[in-house]
Amino acid sequence: MFGWLGRSAARGILTTRYPDAPPTPSEAPVSAHAPEPRPAVPISPNAVAGCPVRAIAPDGVDQGRCIRCARCLAQGFEFSGPVALATAKRPDRPEGPGAILGGAAPLARLGRSIHVFLVDVGSCNACNLEVLSIAHPQYDASRLGIFFTNSPRHADVLLVVGVPTEAMVEPLRRAYDAIPAPKAVVATGACAIRGGVFEGTPGLRSGVDEIVPVDLYVPGCPPPPVAVLDALLRLIGRERTEAPT
Amino acid sequence: MSAPYLGILLTAAVVGLFASAPAAVLARRIGYGIALASSLLLLAVAIATLATGPVHGIAWTGPLGDPESLQLDGLSAFFALAASLVWTATSAYSIFYDDRRSPGLAVCYGLTLGAIALLVSASSFLLFLIGWEIMTLASYGMILQATGRGDRIFSAAFVFLAFGEASTLLVLIAVAAFHVLSGGFLEGPVSGAGALTSLVFVAALLGFGLKMGVAPFHLSEWLPIAHSSAPSNASAVLSSTLTLAGAYGLFRVVSDLGSPPAWWGGLMLAIGAISVLLGALFASVSEHTKGLPAYSTIENNGLILVALGVALLAEANGLTELAVFALFAAFFQAIAHAVAKTALFLSAGYVEHATGTFDLSAVAGGAKRSDPGETEGTLVAALSLAAAPPLAGFVSEWMILESLFQSYRFSSPEAQFLGLLAGAAVALAAGLIVVAMVKFVGFALLWKPSPGATAPRAAGLGTTVGAVGGILVGLGVGAPWILKGVAPGVAAFAHAAVTAPVSGLLAVPDGWSIVSGSPFGILSPPVVPIAIGLASVVAWGYFRLGGGRRTRTVEPWMAGSAPGRPGETYTSFGYSTGIRIMLRSILRTREVRASVGPVTEAGLATPVPYNVDLEVLDVFKLFYDDLVAATAAVSDAFKVAIMPGRLGRYLAYILLVTLAVVVYVAVAA
Amino acid sequence: MTRAGWEVEAGDDGPVEDGKRALAYRADDGALALYNDYDRGRSILRTPKIPGTWSVRTAPAPGAHPLAAAAEVAGYGTFTFPYGPISAGVPEAGKFEVRTYGERVLGLVPVGGFKTRSVATSVLGLPVADAGLRVERMAGNLSASHVSAFLAAAESAEGRPVPTAELYVRALAQELQRLYNHVRQIARVAEAAAQNVGLAQVHALGEEILRLQGSVFGHRWMFGALLPGGPARRVDAADRDRLEHALGGIGAEFDVLWSLLLESRTFVDRLQSTAPLSKESAIASGAVGPTLRASGVGWDDRLRAPTPPYTDLFVSLPNETAGDALARILVRGAEIQASLVILEQLFDRWPTEESITEPAESPVGPGRGIARVEAPNGDLVYDVTVADGRVRRLQFRSPSAANWPAFAASMQDAVFTDFHFAFESFGLVFAETDG
Ligand code: SF4
Ligand code: SF4
Repeated sequence: MFGWLGRSAARGILTTRYPDAPPTPSEAPVSAHAPEPRPAVPISPNAVAGCPVRAIAPDGVDQGRCIRCARCLAQGFEFSGPVALATAKRPDRPEGPGAILGGAAPLARLGRSIHVFLVDVGSCNACNLEVLSIAHPQYDASRLGIFFTNSPRHADVLLVVGVPTEAMVEPLRRAYDAIPAPKAVVATGACAIRGGVFEGTPGLRSGVDEIVPVDLYVPGCPPPPVAVLDALLRLIGRERTEAPT
Repeated sequence: MSAPYLGILLTAAVVGLFASAPAAVLARRIGYGIALASSLLLLAVAIATLATGPVHGIAWTGPLGDPESLQLDGLSAFFALAASLVWTATSAYSIFYDDRRSPGLAVCYGLTLGAIALLVSASSFLLFLIGWEIMTLASYGMILQATGRGDRIFSAAFVFLAFGEASTLLVLIAVAAFHVLSGGFLEGPVSGAGALTSLVFVAALLGFGLKMGVAPFHLSEWLPIAHSSAPSNASAVLSSTLTLAGAYGLFRVVSDLGSPPAWWGGLMLAIGAISVLLGALFASVSEHTKGLPAYSTIENNGLILVALGVALLAEANGLTELAVFALFAAFFQAIAHAVAKTALFLSAGYVEHATGTFDLSAVAGGAKRSDPGETEGTLVAALSLAAAPPLAGFVSEWMILESLFQSYRFSSPEAQFLGLLAGAAVALAAGLIVVAMVKFVGFALLWKPSPGATAPRAAGLGTTVGAVGGILVGLGVGAPWILKGVAPGVAAFAHAAVTAPVSGLLAVPDGWSIVSGSPFGILSPPVVPIAIGLASVVAWGYFRLGGGRRTRTVEPWMAGSAPGRPGETYTSFGYSTGIRIMLRSILRTREVRASVGPVTEAGLATPVPYNVDLEVLDVFKLFYDDLVAATAAVSDAFKVAIMPGRLGRYLAYILLVTLAVVVYVAVAA
Repeated sequence: MTRAGWEVEAGDDGPVEDGKRALAYRADDGALALYNDYDRGRSILRTPKIPGTWSVRTAPAPGAHPLAAAAEVAGYGTFTFPYGPISAGVPEAGKFEVRTYGERVLGLVPVGGFKTRSVATSVLGLPVADAGLRVERMAGNLSASHVSAFLAAAESAEGRPVPTAELYVRALAQELQRLYNHVRQIARVAEAAAQNVGLAQVHALGEEILRLQGSVFGHRWMFGALLPGGPARRVDAADRDRLEHALGGIGAEFDVLWSLLLESRTFVDRLQSTAPLSKESAIASGAVGPTLRASGVGWDDRLRAPTPPYTDLFVSLPNETAGDALARILVRGAEIQASLVILEQLFDRWPTEESITEPAESPVGPGRGIARVEAPNGDLVYDVTVADGRVRRLQFRSPSAANWPAFAASMQDAVFTDFHFAFESFGLVFAETDG
């Protein structure tokens, strides 16, 4: 026991300063940022054709579809957008970065603490593990009043990862029903938003919002832990506010 | 001081109970009706007795030349009160329930009730013994009326009879020894710690303990009920009032013996504590809708012994206040248990009626219960047995624990230590019995009805059981006044004027609180429901004023699976398997597996299906089984050695005996 | 340039002795049988149909279906306790049906199919690189192994040689991911044993590995990094220096945490003799990977069926015999140390031909290729048919699919509270099982 405590002391503070400070490069590697056309470079037809998930249209990028495959980097794009860009509308088309559209933070009246129930409806595991890692020392979500719970009965937030399979439709509905109001649903990752790389596969739903109403969409494949933190803080109106760079 | 007509009414009640037996031959319902009326009469007389003083019925001269009569004093009136409460409920219930059995049940039922009424109101031990024996034989008859496998019923009834007669034998010894001491039958007190006095005490403790089903005789309680699946009204009478009769006998004898040595109380306390623990433990793992309440009876009667034991120990230590408080606890425990247990048995009978099973894990998919009051009454009774406030069982459990807490006042370290151990046992049992009652309520009461099935409607049943629940609430909330009411009983026991441990403290009006000793604990039973009521009003008001809040009904959360699919719900058995495994050394838990179906290829092929049974065992049953086997072996050996069936040998025996008589006569002369 | 895939031996279909058939699978057209001869330490791979072959289903069926068989149990009070598909403690969609009379597990049936995304069928007709995007997202925490096996099989199918440096990058990614998975598995077991301080430290180590992967490959899970045309495949000398330095720190940190964990009696006691798996039942149930090695069978594809660059490396083979949860965790701890040694060797021998030639635009030819990779949780097999640069058929057998029966067998007669220790010690992943 003392060995462990000594070890903890020796390692010092590992925890990020996010959301008081912007995410560092080690917390958000290049692919954590949203792809955007390089300044003054128009979106080329090659970029549109080359995107494997048809996220690029001539007039912009659908961040909800993007799986951060980096193919467009060769076509005049760069990973320079924001890390945290959760939106309240399905990002079929780009919205202003970081805006909660359609009003105030849905769980603002819960005050400073929320409990999160994580449900996997068909993920590759990367999303689950990124979400769970916000509880690890480097992110320590509990300092921000964010806790995981093992029962929907104690939850305020239903955090869904993965592309919904037919077999998970009913369980997801049950989980949603089991959570007492007020509650919020967060669709995390490209799969949960509209199927990600699996969009269009027979037997899969195109997004969680086909089954339960979604309050917040968190783009990324997977979204890095800071993006998950940002989304959860948005629900209670405590997210990092910064001028879009 | 009592009015003479009370004596006549008492006689009428006893006679009426007996008379219900022959009436039942004509028509069962008439018999039960007479029993109901007589029980109500006895109830009234008992209450009047507690209020006004001893009652004497018609007197006559007994075969031994003693004056005999039916009478009630404070002590017997209290037990008559408890018993008649139970009988009122069971008789009312029987009018509706006993529609499938032979009149034999109703006849034996009436005889049992009459016999208990007789022994409670007997003025002498002779009359008491007559009542006692009729009671034993008539209840034996009731058990024989059970439905089910004949051999099982017969052996269960036989066990009952064997234990019953052993009990009579011990009681006879106690009575005879008492007679030698005092020359009388019910007169006391006989004081002194002589060997004969102790013989009276030990024989009475064992004899009446046998009837109360305390350890190590608890087999006599659960086995006849669980193995014979005795009819419900019979089970209720057996478990609630036969044991009450045992308790009465014990109270009566002990009250006739003055200045008890400390070891009497210690012995009683030890037997009581062991019974409490065993009863609660086996109740928590029992799977039988009637066996479970029967085990709980063992626990409750153990509690009576614990309280009585503390009272005797306190008296031996000169702690009058504690002794009286513990006595009150014993009295209250007796009535709280008798009433609550009745509801449980009646409910179990209803479950059998509706689902055709006694197995808690098999009770499922029956019909929706449709008798208003029945569910509520049973729930209240189970809560009372689990000692939940503000019910009667809570008050008595509190009082018993309070008296045990004060065992530090005893002078000898042994007695202190015993009090400590008993306290631990009672507390542990209190936890186990909660498991048992949750099982009973959860699986015998709240089963999920399968759509379409209709429950047999037993008119009046709901009212009866509901009324029992109401009585339990009344007993619990009104505990201080009840204690005042039973003070004559305690006084008759203690041969002194006693005041009930009732007072007013901490801004609670005088007479509203029970005080366990000065200085010690205090409880105000009426304040508990008032507080609960106030809190409910506040919550209700908040809810109403909150406006627009609606109740949302959601299905239970089963990790995302559809809840309640057949075969996927927790069974009553599974609920208590934790205890079976944890306490396997006491319960002798044993798993028996037998493969069923063909043995197929190993590996990934479908493994062999098997049948599994997790059995528990009452070690005492093993002991009795061994005893039976040993007795049989000895008598066999005796038969072979002495009675080989040869005429010559027998002639030789006769010759030898004749010679011996001749020699004896010659020498004596 | 090196050939990456495995040669398929067109052998006869003679009988295979019992006890040596531990691993096999059959494609829907043209059976493929794979035997590990544990006594002689070699594999036999055959294509002809062998009647009565003991097989593992490879094309996961959609919809919920059992992943292992358990005995039917009857008896008073017995019932089935459903756990999942949203089960607290197992962060994946999957279900377990526990047959019980309460408290004790009389039989456990893992149920999969809640995450079936039909990767194997949805990639048909896609170019190899696009198919790779889906293959790596089959199981994000095992992406490097899946992609490496898939690419090796595809390259073998096309008969296309691969630059050696490319294979080094794949091996690097695989070993990093092995570190991550083993560290995480150890943390999960510590979590089950309520070793809270310890578990936080170990989880912190896992996050460090993810960050390292992110900084070298641009993506925390290395998605896209190994695929043809991927953006960050050039692991240059500076990257390697950084990696070597960071891994040195991680290794030192792990050694400290590992010894602290093993000093904790509660941790060790809780795992000891939990969910035991004998050598015989490990082989009979077809277990692979650390599960097999913890039950006393020394088999590791990197050693027994190596492909470059493992053919040139020294690979140690941690081995335990107890077969319980502790043994499986001990194997993982030792493999972390072994992986760090492998990584050092990779850096030392890194091929000088730094520039990686882009894949030939014109595929060499259509064909079928089979590749095996030792994923963190065991032997992973891919069987890919490619024509015109597009995937025509894809079959795979994941280590999780192979290990479910072993898990179910080890849980027989366990108690409920053993579940999490047992489950985490096996490292089972529903995502790759369902596909
Ligand atoms: S990163 Fe990939 S998925 Fe995202 S926009 Fe660019 S090409 Fe499309
Ligand atoms: S969004 Fe990407 S990382 Fe998340 S589950 Fe889907 S494929 Fe995996």
